Amino acid sequence: MQFAKFLFSRLLTYVLVVWISITIVFFVPRFVPGSPVEAVLGRLMSQGTTMDPKLVQSMRETLTQMFGLEGTLWEQYSSFLNRVLLTWDFGPSLANYPTPVSVLIARALPWSLGLMLTALAISWTLGNLIGLLAGYHNKSMTSKAIETAAMVMYPIPYYILALLLVILFAYIWPIFPFVFQVSGVPGSWPWIQSVAYNSFLPLMSIVIVSMGWWIISMKAMAIDTKEEDFVQYARYRGVEDNKVMVGYVARTAILPQITVLALSIGGVFGGSLITEILFGYPGVGTLIYRAILGSDYNLILGTVSLSIIAVATATLVLDIVYPFIDPRIRYK
Amino acid sequence: MKTKQWYLAVTLIVAMLLSACAAPQAPAADSSGGTSAAATGGMTFVDTPRNETLILDNLGGSLERPENFNMYTPGVEMGRGFHELCTDHLWEIDTVTGEQFPSLAAEMPKALNNDYTSFEIKLREGIFWDDGVEFTSDDVIYTLQMWMDTDAIAIHGWAVDYLKDFKATDKYTVVIDTTRSQPRFAKDFGVTIWGNRFYPVPKHIWENEDPTNFEFYPPVCLGQYKFSKTDPNGNWTLWQLRDDWQKTSVGQVAEKAGPKYVLWNFVGTEEKRILAMINNDIDILQDITPESMQVLTQRSDVVRAWHAGFPYADFDDPCERGIAFNNSESPYDQWQVRWALALATDIKNVSLGTFAGMLRVSPLGVPPVAAVQNVYHKPLVDRLKAMTLPDGYAPFDTNYALDMAKIFQEQGVGGELPTTDAELIDLFGVGWWKYDVDEAAKLLESVGFTRNADGKWLLPDGQPWSIAINAPSDFEVQSGRLAFAVADSWSKFGIDATVNSMTANSFWTASATGQYEAGSYWPGCAIGADIYPNLSFWHQKFIVPTGEPAPGNQHRHKSDEIAKILDELEKVTSDDPQNVELSKDLLMQMALEMDWIPMFGTSKFVPVNETYFTNYPTADNYYEGPWWWWSNFKYIAAQIQPKQ
Amino acid sequence: MQLVKPRLVVGLIIVSIFLLLGFVAPFFAPEDPTAWNTYFRNLAPSAEHIMGTNNLGQDIFWLLTWSIRNSLWIGLSVAAFATIIGVLVGLSAGFLGGFADRILTLFMDIVISVPSLPVLILISALLGGKTSLLIIAGVLVLFNWPWPGRQARAMSLSLREREFINVAQASGESSAKIVVLEIMPFVLGWALANFINTILVAISAESGLAIIGLSSLKDATLGTMIYWAMQHQALLLEKWLWILSPIFAIMLLFIGLFLVSTGWSDYFATRRGRQ
Repeated sequence: MQFAKFLFSRLLTYVLVVWISITIVFFVPRFVPGSPVEAVLGRLMSQGTTMDPKLVQSMRETLTQMFGLEGTLWEQYSSFLNRVLLTWDFGPSLANYPTPVSVLIARALPWSLGLMLTALAISWTLGNLIGLLAGYHNKSMTSKAIETAAMVMYPIPYYILALLLVILFAYIWPIFPFVFQVSGVPGSWPWIQSVAYNSFLPLMSIVIVSMGWWIISMKAMAIDTKEEDFVQYARYRGVEDNKVMVGYVARTAILPQITVLALSIGGVFGGSLITEILFGYPGVGTLIYRAILGSDYNLILGTVSLSIIAVATATLVLDIVYPFIDPRIRYK
Repeated sequence: MKTKQWYLAVTLIVAMLLSACAAPQAPAADSSGGTSAAATGGMTFVDTPRNETLILDNLGGSLERPENFNMYTPGVEMGRGFHELCTDHLWEIDTVTGEQFPSLAAEMPKALNNDYTSFEIKLREGIFWDDGVEFTSDDVIYTLQMWMDTDAIAIHGWAVDYLKDFKATDKYTVVIDTTRSQPRFAKDFGVTIWGNRFYPVPKHIWENEDPTNFEFYPPVCLGQYKFSKTDPNGNWTLWQLRDDWQKTSVGQVAEKAGPKYVLWNFVGTEEKRILAMINNDIDILQDITPESMQVLTQRSDVVRAWHAGFPYADFDDPCERGIAFNNSESPYDQWQVRWALALATDIKNVSLGTFAGMLRVSPLGVPPVAAVQNVYHKPLVDRLKAMTLPDGYAPFDTNYALDMAKIFQEQGVGGELPTTDAELIDLFGVGWWKYDVDEAAKLLESVGFTRNADGKWLLPDGQPWSIAINAPSDFEVQSGRLAFAVADSWSKFGIDATVNSMTANSFWTASATGQYEAGSYWPGCAIGADIYPNLSFWHQKFIVPTGEPAPGNQHRHKSDEIAKILDELEKVTSDDPQNVELSKDLLMQMALEMDWIPMFGTSKFVPVNETYFTNYPTADNYYEGPWWWWSNFKYIAAQIQPKQ
Repeated sequence: MQLVKPRLVVGLIIVSIFLLLGFVAPFFAPEDPTAWNTYFRNLAPSAEHIMGTNNLGQDIFWLLTWSIRNSLWIGLSVAAFATIIGVLVGLSAGFLGGFADRILTLFMDIVISVPSLPVLILISALLGGKTSLLIIAGVLVLFNWPWPGRQARAMSLSLREREFINVAQASGESSAKIVVLEIMPFVLGWALANFINTILVAISAESGLAIIGLSSLKDATLGTMIYWAMQHQALLLEKWLWILSPIFAIMLLFIGLFLVSTGWSDYFATRRGRQ
């Protein structure tokens, strides 16, 4: 009963969080002194092509109408809510009119998911494995060396590392491409090869940096767990060392890591904005960036909402699951 | 997400895992963008022979919706070959002379009456769409009718206002009636700068579609190239020479074909573009900085800019750069203030700070390109010298070109410069306003400005004077740097001048709404002697209050004199001798009122790589301007030949 | 726990060097290093310019010190405000419970859900190039307090269950007093670690923005220094001092701060353990 009450109130908060956040994302861009209409006109005028004032005026009116930007902010907001709630449709991208926002996201999302999920999977698995070994054998020199390495890697912003990797491995020692250029038929083997080759540096920049965190946290937890009574007891009982490490220490220490992993998965839907821009990687981050620069209200809403919902959902799941893990917390 | 996207995501993850586990060996030539094609069997990454594929940098960057080729939707990206090679216009521009010539049309439009409201257009015969259907007057009429009938395309409002009636009198003749007198009809329906809004569409394809959301994919072309394929991630588009290329306007006019394939490819940020050109993976680059040019000259023997040596850049871009104000807001509504700022600009240092001195000055509101400079700047030198401000001060200084040459001699780079005065003036311009801070101070003091103890200027109300100059942040490098250099100059004069680096969108919105003080804009464009179409927007009837987007006159300059001349200019045709005389009066009046401060023509390095192709237009081979992103590129492409 | 002490010491040394470079050295700069064309361009390192000058005619060494100063300034102020606000709000939420807790948690969840980088980019666009470091710092505070807030709340929830709070409550102390006197000391050690982490987050966010050209470009920060170097093709022209010095400065600073943060946590933990 207590749980049901908790669940209800937590779900209510979830809906509120998502709704209010999306509302913020609806309004903030509209206060930016740049409009999608002027963006389109500016693009034409900066080419120097002759635009007589009558043409400018009539284009401005037509575009405002086409982009659905007539009427007060409240009118626009309520029609947006209607559309999104009824049809889950974010409408056409304004900078890519009339292409629907959903088409653009559907194209970019696999790229971001591919990059971020893989980076997460690799760094989580490897990081925890290394962290466990280093923590379990924390007296060895290797363990200390690993920890030092992790400590040096972890705090570096990943785009700084990305820059450095590009300078080193694409410029000074050009074994990876300087330019992100995928070729081949999507889904085919040469294409997969080409993607792999091109994605190596962006992937590594994220993996290296995020792995540091998993190593450090896992190591700390493994050290703590190792000293707990039940582990000691298992050891007295003569359980094999490796079995103790995997069956007792890892099983306990991994739980918090799983919860953080769940939270991180929420973050992958936003892509990795700066890394994607630096590498010209065609993911959601690049899409968000370009949408903002072009005041593409609909595309901003579509991409950022996706990211908001993903993060909020991950937090929700975590909050519901967390008390099962930490028995000290009761549902309130 | 649909199954397809999931599949894509899964294969991507496989690819990533692969990339992480075994750092894959550099893949074969066809799947690597970064390695030089010459070393790997001569194929490009899109599987075309490298020596038959002309590769251009894609100026517009990566596209989010590369499949959209409907030129009447606001979201279309024209530049990537579509505008340059696939579509065609009735009249094209010869960028050397600044004169139009018939492209799809057989001749220039014929006015059927004396008040210029009815025109006959003869179309070239024997022009075919790339699907084999002939291009006829039906296509032209269909396109115009589509403009009139579709209120959800941007051009609709203009068309309704401009067009009264149109009909095909035979298969190759169209008669158009306009609602008003239009002495410059060919300018409205033909190319002047970059392109024109009138793109004929194939009736046999469009008539069954909804023009507001039809994607026109794959596009059907009128030019000598046809669409081959495009990158789903929006980085490249490939065009292929038509077998029937002779059945196009270029085929008939130039009687030459050009490279078999043309590829527009976006490789990323500037350093990546530079490196790609050094690796011979790009043949033509568009807009780059002086530093990038320096890298190119240092690192490649096969890359050249417009000039083979110093000053490298082409100075003939048809828009000039300078500082414009919102002339309706105090204190910039006073000519004394605008003039004081012009005289407080140390133009030589600004030139050095902006583009290392590789710039041509212009005191007039049209760019100092050769075709314009010979008609206006040079003949007007005497009037400029004689011009005085109301207080009797003569502001013009003719020494700029010679002074710059002297500076370059001192820096040791002047060896490649011409030696005669006339040639130096051709290169660096006719002169500019004096750098005279005393006169500037006098002008400011005459309208109540004062200086405080530190020599800083105070507004007439006693507040410190600060100017924020709008500047483009990540595009139009020259204007961006100009703003910083000018701010430097004005700061030394005692004004608190700063730069707002803005993204394209806010930069243009500020210009339209007038919500800015000063900005590094470029409201002075022109390509030939007929400058009215490019300057008509300065008419005061277009002024709207600050805060509302302006249809024209974004700088909100109010002047009865300028309006009077513009009204007269509107009535004359392009070839009327009165046209040039009136335009001269207009330019002198604009200079006297200092409606904005024109400074330099635009310098473009437009480097080309001569590994695989030759006969690019260059300063030594000036058959066309190097405007790779204009519609007349199709005429340049026909001249570019594979290297033997 | 042999590593604890050397780690803290090494971290402190690195951070002290940066503090010296950032807050003391700039006073000795002969000219404003952000002004363009103060010196000849592209000079090689010499006694006068120990790291040479760049393509904009700025002295690279002095520019670097100003950049470090501004970056540190952003980091420290954001971290201070975010941690203080976060801890106060989080503790009150957790300790007060009920409706106040709901509202505060909701508020924190909203801020956490909205991705901060797009909003920062939006704000830069909103200000149309008039972005100042102060504004960026303000937005960073806005986005960074909920993290310590959420943790502080969780911490107070679990603390509430512990004996000594119950004792305090039973003895009739007021809520505010309990928060300040009983919980604060417990939280302080953790808050310091969080403070240092937020410095990292703030500097990292600002330099990320700067690298894509959306910070306050006229101010010198480690990020804007990288931006200008890239704009002027320092990489391809191989002006390594210009492009690499801010990159290595960020890396080194971050490593130093991180060592201090973890070193301190461990030190704090062992000290408490001994008591």
